[in-house]
Amino acid sequence: MLKTTLAGLRAHKLRLLLTSLAIALGVGFIAGTFVLTDTIDAGFTQKFSAAADRIDAAVTPAPGEASREVPLVPVAVLERVRAVDGVADAQGLVQGTSALMGKDGKVAGDYPTAGVSIAEGSLNRTLITSGSAPKTPAEAVLDENTARIRGFAVGETITVLDSEEVKHEFTLVGLFDVGLNQELGFTGAVGFTTGTARSMTGEKGFREIDVAAAEGVTQEAVRDSIAAALGSGYRVKTGKDYADAMARQNGADTQMITMGLLMFGLVAMFVAALVIYNTFNILVAQRTREMALLRCIGATRGQVFGSIVLESVVVGLLSSVLGLLLGYGLGAGALAVLTSVGAPLPSATAALAPRTIVLGLVIGLVVTVGAALLPARSATRVAPIAALRTQVEEHTFRAGLIRVIFASLFLVAGVGATVAALGMEAGQAALIVVMVGGSLVFLGVLTLGPVIVKPLGAFVGWLPARLFKVPGRLAVDNSRRNPKRSATTTVALTVGVTLMTLIAVLTGTMRATYSQKLDDQFPVDFMVQPQARDSGLPRALAEGLRTRPELTGVAAFRQTLAKVGKDEYEVGTFVAPADFRPELATGSIDVLKPGTAVVADYVAKELGLKVGDRLPVRTAKAGTVELTVVSTFDPEVADLAGVTVPDGDFERYFGAVGDSRVLVNARDGVSSEQARKVVEAAAQPYPTAKVASSTEVRGEFDEALDMMLMIITGLLGLAVLISLLGIANTLSLSVHERTRESALLRALGLTRPQLRWMLSVEALILGLIGALVGVVLGVTFGWAAAQTMTEEVAFRLPVVQILAFVALSGLAGVLAAVLPARRAARASIVGSLASG
Amino acid sequence: MTITGEVGAWSARGDAAAAVVARGLTKVYGQGDAAVHALRGVDISFATGAFTAIMGPSGSGKSTLMHCLAGLDTVSGGQVHIGDVELTGLNDKQLTLLRRERIGFIFQAFNLLPTLTAEQNIRLPLEIAGRQADRDLFDRVVETVGLRDRLGHKPAELSGGQQQRVAVARALISKPQVIFADEPTGNLDSRSGAEVLSFLRTSVHELGQTIVMVTHDPVAASYADRVVFLRDGLLVSELVKPTPQSVLDTLMKLEA
Repeated sequence: MLKTTLAGLRAHKLRLLLTSLAIALGVGFIAGTFVLTDTIDAGFTQKFSAAADRIDAAVTPAPGEASREVPLVPVAVLERVRAVDGVADAQGLVQGTSALMGKDGKVAGDYPTAGVSIAEGSLNRTLITSGSAPKTPAEAVLDENTARIRGFAVGETITVLDSEEVKHEFTLVGLFDVGLNQELGFTGAVGFTTGTARSMTGEKGFREIDVAAAEGVTQEAVRDSIAAALGSGYRVKTGKDYADAMARQNGADTQMITMGLLMFGLVAMFVAALVIYNTFNILVAQRTREMALLRCIGATRGQVFGSIVLESVVVGLLSSVLGLLLGYGLGAGALAVLTSVGAPLPSATAALAPRTIVLGLVIGLVVTVGAALLPARSATRVAPIAALRTQVEEHTFRAGLIRVIFASLFLVAGVGATVAALGMEAGQAALIVVMVGGSLVFLGVLTLGPVIVKPLGAFVGWLPARLFKVPGRLAVDNSRRNPKRSATTTVALTVGVTLMTLIAVLTGTMRATYSQKLDDQFPVDFMVQPQARDSGLPRALAEGLRTRPELTGVAAFRQTLAKVGKDEYEVGTFVAPADFRPELATGSIDVLKPGTAVVADYVAKELGLKVGDRLPVRTAKAGTVELTVVSTFDPEVADLAGVTVPDGDFERYFGAVGDSRVLVNARDGVSSEQARKVVEAAAQPYPTAKVASSTEVRGEFDEALDMMLMIITGLLGLAVLISLLGIANTLSLSVHERTRESALLRALGLTRPQLRWMLSVEALILGLIGALVGVVLGVTFGWAAAQTMTEEVAFRLPVVQILAFVALSGLAGVLAAVLPARRAARASIVGSLASG
Repeated sequence: MTITGEVGAWSARGDAAAAVVARGLTKVYGQGDAAVHALRGVDISFATGAFTAIMGPSGSGKSTLMHCLAGLDTVSGGQVHIGDVELTGLNDKQLTLLRRERIGFIFQAFNLLPTLTAEQNIRLPLEIAGRQADRDLFDRVVETVGLRDRLGHKPAELSGGQQQRVAVARALISKPQVIFADEPTGNLDSRSGAEVLSFLRTSVHELGQTIVMVTHDPVAASYADRVVFLRDGLLVSELVKPTPQSVLDTLMKLEA
């Protein structure tokens, strides 16, 4: 039996390859994910252990203090550490912000650059890539990326703002590599000597203190003596532990990526399983006579079953191995792409861990064999007498009672869950219920597939049948003649299209919702903000804007953190023209009188406040004041600070605080370019002031959404690709089955192009059915999911995208038919008539 | 090979009204040592409005001859004319169009598309050609083969004999210059076979159809106006107005 199976497999190498490819792609994606993240992990670990070689101990502040500020090690601790026995050297690391000025005289970038200290001596972990490290207070270094983008070269003078926004000039003596520090990589960084770094950033302490042990002192010994000297309040680690902890932290990050990518891998495997199931089903159907013959000459049912399962094991093993190779290539490729676009990743050779190999093989094998079990069981039902029948009977399909019951159960449960979720409060729980409901409905559709594929085929085929005459009509008939096969083939495509449509609907809706919110919250043309969000702009800026005749509706907002009740909240105020009317829960903004405050819903909820209650606020200038709550507001509707007080009161409570935000409108008749120039000119004297227009903000959000849509669609593309392999496979098997039929048509005068057309149209119909079901499911559940995300949703149907999905699915189906159609058209009529 | 002398005499006859003419037809499968000479130079013509049967032992080349005459297979040498068209120079597309316009087929089995009803199957050649069926002709053909009440059925719902009758009707509907039938009764019981054969003969005598039929059954061959005999790729004999007995006798002589 083993020999028979293997001989059969050898005889059909091509068929084997197509089938394997579906599984190989899925396994490849999963393996590739592991290769990528393993390699990144390994690289991080390697880099951190290199760092550990230089550091013998590290002192960091003890965690646990719930504060919004980063905990620091006080400066005085450095001297205490240096005085400990066995410590050869200790260096404090400073990291704060010190905004680099661009060549245009404004601060560079959307976020202020970081200011860091470059340690001296053996403890320096910063890699200077050109020039040298700063040695005097007048020298500084820049990270390579920032230097490149802002156009600074070694030897030039750079201007950097200190924490008080005073300009300082430095000679740029070198460039450095930010290494694995994602934070520095994001904002860019300026490096100074330790003392300068402290004065520039205004940081009152160190992020950490790195220690080098004296000759002959172990890491553990120096750690213990430092810990004993410092007492509690600090965490002291050996260099090795420190490196391990850093590597673990990064490992957690890569784990998130792994999980995310694996989700797509699972979708791909599910689709692959459908393809395999269908392929084996067709193979079993086509080999009915072969099976029967085996049974005639004495094979038991078990042996027939075993031979099919064995075939799937061979296919599964081969494709898993292929998938692992593919995955290795994918992982290495992705790494190369990421590195080339400048992602801060350690360089390392791609790693194929034993875990990846085992997982890849197991998943590939289990999915393949699992999908082949049902077909194998149906193979055992072939009666020996079937060997004597000349013609394979047509597979008529009737919807069985069990099928209908199951499908109804799935559908009812799924629709029920979705409807229930729509009634729930918007949030994650509701979203999950919608997803569960969607999955159930999908299962229902999957079960019902063979029933609905016939009417759908007639519907989708209506136009092709009229357009392509005889080939078209025959194609429509063919697509409907074996509903079970067509259903499984199309459902594989439906999976991908459903998810793509869902994502398109969600992003489209998010775009519309955000756009609407933006109109509500940012009903202005321009917004001026300080580069660092927690700092302020001089109030003279807003004053200057108010005097410009081209501008109108200048509203300035100020805010600061203050202790309100037990916790810290943002307390703020605004100066705006009379037509600025933020919407409150009760009354109008006029209720805000001296000694009162309006509070955001979440503040009222957290502090248990209602209108009329007294609210104690600890102020900087006026001690603790008791404010009367006069109204509440929804921060999604009225964009005010959590606790908003009148302007005069704010000044009295907190003194001179800069504007955190200034909103500006262009007066009617003033072009936006002209208005922009005016605003820019007014902001020019204030280097940290950043001018943004509402179109820019919208553009940035759109870009981010487009990017997300592209990435997710790309990842789902794999599932679609696999399902196309399924269409190609089904079609080529069907072509094989219909060899004599095709020959008859050719004899009766169907030309080769017409025969090719017939098969292309059949594939087109299969593709369109899959896409159509996918679009309906995707839109429905995209809509439901959007309803559960936030309360007020501006639903948007991305019609163009959806039409594109449908058109591409049809086109892809036609592409999938190219090879089978060529084979069918090339076959000799005489040879085909004699076969079978 | 004593009979070969007669060939020249009858092959030239009836050329004036010939529907199909073949000259020096050869067909070789494979190359070198493995080459099989299926046809070794066949000269034959088939008169318009006649029912001709091609007979011969297995491997005599009778099916190959039919395939070459019908433009289903390419020839290695010689010429084939269907009416005034020479087949041997035609490319696949031209051959396809020729089959569509001038030739009807009835095969031993698998004559019908399983997805189409009987009526759709009958009309299929016309639809492929983009022609309208002549209503009268359709009615007459359907009447002739007695399928009036079976038109809406799919092949799977028809008996073997009924299926072949649908195939006959389909071959007749496009009024082809010639119908090639390859063992049309090979899969039928004798009663259904007799029915199909008499329909074929009726269509020749009443509709003026030309039919060339390959068969190995002497009874089937006896329905024809003329029987030609093949052996080893050569025409070796012919009978006019055959009876089952005379066909059988000729076959016995060939086998000997």
